[in-house]
This record gives sequence, C-alpha cells and structure tokens, in this order.
Amino acid sequence: MRTEEALAGKHLVITGFTGFVAKVLVAMLLERAPDIGRITLLIRPRGRIRPALVRAEKIVDTSPVFRTLRARHGARLADFLAGRLDALDSDVEKPRCGLDDEGLDRLAGADAVIHCAGLTDFAPDPLKALTANVAGATHAAQLAEELGCPLVHVSTCYVAGARGRAVIEEALAVGVSPNGQRLDAAAEVRALQLACRGVEAAGDRIRIGMERAEALGWPNIYTYTKGLAEHLLARRPGLDLTIVRPSIVECAREFPFAGWNEGLNTAGPLAWLISTAFRRLPTVPAHRFDVIPVDDVAKGLAAITAAAIRGFGGGVFQLASSDHNPLTFDRAVELTGLGMRRWTRKGGGRTVDRALFRFLDPVPVPAEAPGPLAVDRLRGWAKDLRALLREEPVPEPLEKLVGDRLASLRARLADQLGEADETLERVERMLALYRPFIHDNDWEFRTGRARALTAHEGAFRFDLSDLDWCDYWVDVEYPGLRTWCIPILDGVEIPSDPPSSPPFRLQRTEWAHRVASK
Amino acid sequence: MSGLRPAALFRVEGALTPRPAVLAAAWMAANAQRLEERAARLGAVALGAPLAFGLGDPTTGQRLAWAALRGTSEDRLRVLGQDYAESWLFGDLRPAGVDLLEQARRDGCLLVLISDHPDVIAEPLKRHLKADLLVANRLELRNGAATGRLVDPVVARFGGQALRDLAHAHQLDLGRSRAYAAAGADQVLLSAIGLPCAVHPDRALRRVCKDLDWPVVEG
Repeated sequence: MRTEEALAGKHLVITGFTGFVAKVLVAMLLERAPDIGRITLLIRPRGRIRPALVRAEKIVDTSPVFRTLRARHGARLADFLAGRLDALDSDVEKPRCGLDDEGLDRLAGADAVIHCAGLTDFAPDPLKALTANVAGATHAAQLAEELGCPLVHVSTCYVAGARGRAVIEEALAVGVSPNGQRLDAAAEVRALQLACRGVEAAGDRIRIGMERAEALGWPNIYTYTKGLAEHLLARRPGLDLTIVRPSIVECAREFPFAGWNEGLNTAGPLAWLISTAFRRLPTVPAHRFDVIPVDDVAKGLAAITAAAIRGFGGGVFQLASSDHNPLTFDRAVELTGLGMRRWTRKGGGRTVDRALFRFLDPVPVPAEAPGPLAVDRLRGWAKDLRALLREEPVPEPLEKLVGDRLASLRARLADQLGEADETLERVERMLALYRPFIHDNDWEFRTGRARALTAHEGAFRFDLSDLDWCDYWVDVEYPGLRTWCIPILDGVEIPSDPPSSPPFRLQRTEWAHRVASK
Repeated sequence: MSGLRPAALFRVEGALTPRPAVLAAAWMAANAQRLEERAARLGAVALGAPLAFGLGDPTTGQRLAWAALRGTSEDRLRVLGQDYAESWLFGDLRPAGVDLLEQARRDGCLLVLISDHPDVIAEPLKRHLKADLLVANRLELRNGAATGRLVDPVVARFGGQALRDLAHAHQLDLGRSRAYAAAGADQVLLSAIGLPCAVHPDRALRRVCKDLDWPVVEG
C-alpha cells in the first residue's frame, strides 16, 4: 500500500510547523495525499493576538512553500483545507505539549504524532537546547502515549557523534555515549542544567555545553541534546517510537519548487564563507558531506509515518545520501565555486562578485597546512597593519606635504582593517564550529531500511541515487542559498509572499472559535 | 520509396560560429580551479594551437589543445562547457549559418551538427539550435576527471568512413543531403554530399568552390 493510500482518512499531529522541514512535510502531504483525514498543527501562540490558528493561516497564506497549493486551489483553498488542516495553541516545552483536556480531546483518535520541533543551531544556549530538544521530545512522547498512537521523532544522523565511519540505522546504545563513556541521560540533563543555571553570560553557558558535548563524543550542543533526547525516549517502554534521522537538510530539489530553503542551515554559512574573499576551506577532500534535499526528507518522513501507523515502523530510519550517492567535500567546494560563477554570470551578486570573486574558485586545503592565506595569519596581518596606521608617526616632511589628508586616509584604512578583522573573526568562529562536519569526521550514514521501506512508493519514495549533484548544487542549491539563506547572514530579511486579499482564513470550527476567543 | 531521408550537415566551426574549438580549450584552461594551474594549462593549449588553427595536422592539434584539461573534473567540464556555449557561442552565431539551418528545418531535413568542440560545449549548442543529431569530440573521463585524451574517432576532418557510418546509422540519403562548411579541411565532407555549400569559406575552400562550382554564402 502506498503512502497516499495508507494516510487516507488518518489524523496526524505535527509539531514544529513554523520550522523548515515540517512546513514542507505538511504542504507535501496536502498536495500528494489529499485524502488525508486531518493534520493538526501544534503551534506555540505568540501572545494573545497571534494564536496558533492565526500563525498557521499566515504561513499557509504567505510562505513560498504553499505557493503551488495556493495556485492550485485559488480562492477555494480554505474550502480544500477545511477539515484537513487545523492548529492548536500548544507548547512542546511544557508537559503534554501544553495542551489542556479540551485540547487533548481534540486530538483523540489521532493516528500519529510527528515531532519535528527543535532547536537546530549548532551552538545555542544549552538551557534553551535542553528545553527545546530534550524536554520537547519527552513531552511529544508523553502526548503520543496519552493518545495511544505512534510517535515519529525527527532527530539527526549526527547523534551518532564522532564514532567510526559507518553509522547503521539502529538505536543509540542506551547508557553509552558516542565515545564509549557511561551515560545516564536523565542525570546528564540535570547536571548540565545545574552547571548552566548559575552562569550569567550566555557565552559561558555555551562553552560549558560545548565542552560537555565534546567530552561525551558529540560534535556540538545540537547533536548532544538530540542524542540525549533519543536516549531518554528509548527508556519509555510503552512508547510506540519511530526515529527518523535526516542528515544535513538543504534546498528542495523539486518540492515546493527547486531551491526553496528557509533559515540558516549548514551549507548556507559555508557557501557564504567561500563566496567571499576567503577561498580556502580547511577540509579533507575525500570526506563525505552528507546533504539531503528537504523534499526528500519530507517524502521519507511521510512514508515512514504511514508505515508506523500500519505497524511497520519502529526503530530508526536514516535519511541521508552518503551511503548510496556520496558527495565528497572537494566536489562540494568545487561545485560551490562553479555555482557562484553561474549565478554571477546570470547577474547575481555585487559588482565585486561578478568582476573578481567569481574567477577565484574556492579550494579545499588541509587544516594542518592552510597556506599563507590562513585566517589566523590574515588576522595577524590586519592587526599589525592597523597598529602601524594608528601608532606610527608620519615622517615630518611628508606630513607637511600632504597635511590632514594623509591622517584621514590612515584613519579610514584603520577602520576598514578593523571591519576586516571582525569578519575574519566571524570566519574563524564559523570554521571552528563546522570543523567536526567538514574536517574531523567522515560519516557514512546507512539508509538501507528507509530505502527498502519506500522502494514501492511513487510520490513518497526516498532514494537519492538519481540525484545529479552537479546539476543540483550549481542550479538548485547554490542559487537557493543565495536567495533564501545568505541574505540572512548579511542582515537582510527574506520577504514572504504578499498576503491574499481578503485575508486568508482557515475554516474555524466551533471549537477553534472557542479557543481563539479565550 | 527508399526510406532514406535527407539531412543537412553543419560544420559548427566556421559555418555556424567563427570561433575555433581551441579557443574554448584556452577559455576552460584559463578557468581552472586553482590559480597556479591556469598558466600551465594555458601554455599547454598554446602548444597545440598552431596545429589546431590549420598549420599542420588538425587532429593532432585538437588532441594537444584538449590534453591541457587533463585532471579537470567532469563537473567543471559540464558547468564551464554550458557557460562557454551560452556566453560565447549562442550570441556569436553566423546569421547566414542560422538562416540555412532554419531553411533546412523547414525543408524537412534531419539537422546534424558536426563539431570539434567537445560534447560538453556542443551539446548545449545542439539544444539551443534544436538540431537532431550531434557528432562532436568527447573528452575521455576516468574517476570523474578528464584524462586529457579525446575519445576516438577525433572530429577534425569529418568525412569518409565516419560519414558513411553516420548515414548508415541514421538512414541518411547523402545524395539528397546538404552540407555546410567553411574550412579547406572540410572538402572531404562537402564532396561526399549531394548539395555542398560553403559558408564564409577560408581561402583554400574558396578556391575549391570556384573550381567545383559549389555555392558560397557569406555572412
């Protein structure tokens, strides 16, 4: 039975709709499995004026993810969504996802909870990460248990930590950290909370979290907290649990349209980095860069959920590319340069990008020998030159000759060098954060279970064998990053689609009216 | 009815574009990934250039020019090939050549492009011109990178057995077909076709056209 048939008439509860993956999943389900019974979105309200329903309406109305759905149904979109899509005020950071009895009643008979909510920053405040990634997962599990339905928990392939090369689709060894140390996940959560609570500066808390993550063999706070969540979920024997682990989720290859991306994902900052004057990325060329388009994640997630509902889920499914269509770092770096060439040739970028940077292709370099243009050396030169400009007196005859003009030129140059130093410091921090992913480890995530499960599927088949990395990276991923991600790094807000007129409204059920008027 | 169909064969270099393939090799060499590679690769292209420009054996010239791309990744060849075609070929097509191609299309001929350029460049051109068939050079690839060798048979002087094989494979009636070329080296091709025509010919081909009374189109 195919996913669209298996989901006919089913009721799914989904968290994390305001995030990247869940939006694509919901839009895809509504388009490719239109006979689905109902999707209830659990969304945290923003104060009294923006309850979950209003937030959901805004996303459906203005997010590019829903462009095709809006175009297909036009003015009848609300009719199409009536009964198929609703939203509940909730908060995954609270027990039972913050739902009262009335809210739980609304979800009675749900067929599955898909938990997509989470904090995906690599180095967030550990307290926030614990709340979002660990407590959030626990509360989603609690909800699924109360509803008596399976929980499909979206984790990450990188919970495997820095252990070995091949990572198979199996649960983490309970009580053991990635580097083989004994681990009591509940005690670990409490210890980290205690360690961080008394610390005022967020930077210090992040340092504590990173040190603890690394001590246990996780590359960062994100994977550490996601790993702890998996450990804690494994200790709930009554839970019908299926874990879905995507690798690095990137631009859509076809759905909702090629190139769609949202927020800052892993490749965005890297592409930004090697599209600037900084051209030498410290990496091991042959290591794998495990990237997966977001629509492939949505396809896999939908199919795995359908299987979980039918009792064929359970265990771990990985959604990744490194085992059946690997992309190596040297290739990714070269393709990024080629993507930039093509993008600038078609008019993208600033004048300096088109005139200069496009011709300076990025190259992978060994971290041990980054060459004369290593970031720390560049920073050293910038500092020395700045000190020279600020402190060295100008020879008297020259000063008499050019007067104040030289002084103002020196001050301007010193300021520019200061800005360059700040940028280089940002680059240095970024490289340190990404080093486990781009240099230290060579993960191969096995996906045999996920591919076998979806082998008979049509619209929900997960298999990246047919993905042409060259076409994808140059014509989809790079332009997508330039459109949807890199502007954020430059402080530019990504515009939404214009809202419809009259304003789009999901059909309010009597119950929704009651909740909204509370 | 014989079942054979007429074709219009266009020698890309000369009849459709004034740009010889060696320029593409030089452009791709100048766009190697590492800056230090670029000078070395350009030098290697320069070695083959005199031969490729007709001062000797053009086949050897093609081989030498494209050998400079040894080690270039397949990704780079594909992307740069497409970019070269779009940037340098599409906007620089000979109007007379394009008119002849459109006329041949209207006349129901199978449109065949014959090119010294490697397929990574010639294929986008074929799509752009909506031609039916392409005979172009191919760079040998191994482990995702060019070995620096052109796959045999190298397209430099097209005609003879290669032309007969093409005609056989695609059921072409060479007697009713037409061919358009610009270089003296192409007289083998032109003389094997029922309706030969020179487009903006070089001095050698112009002389042949005069002797054999072949039509000449300028522009």
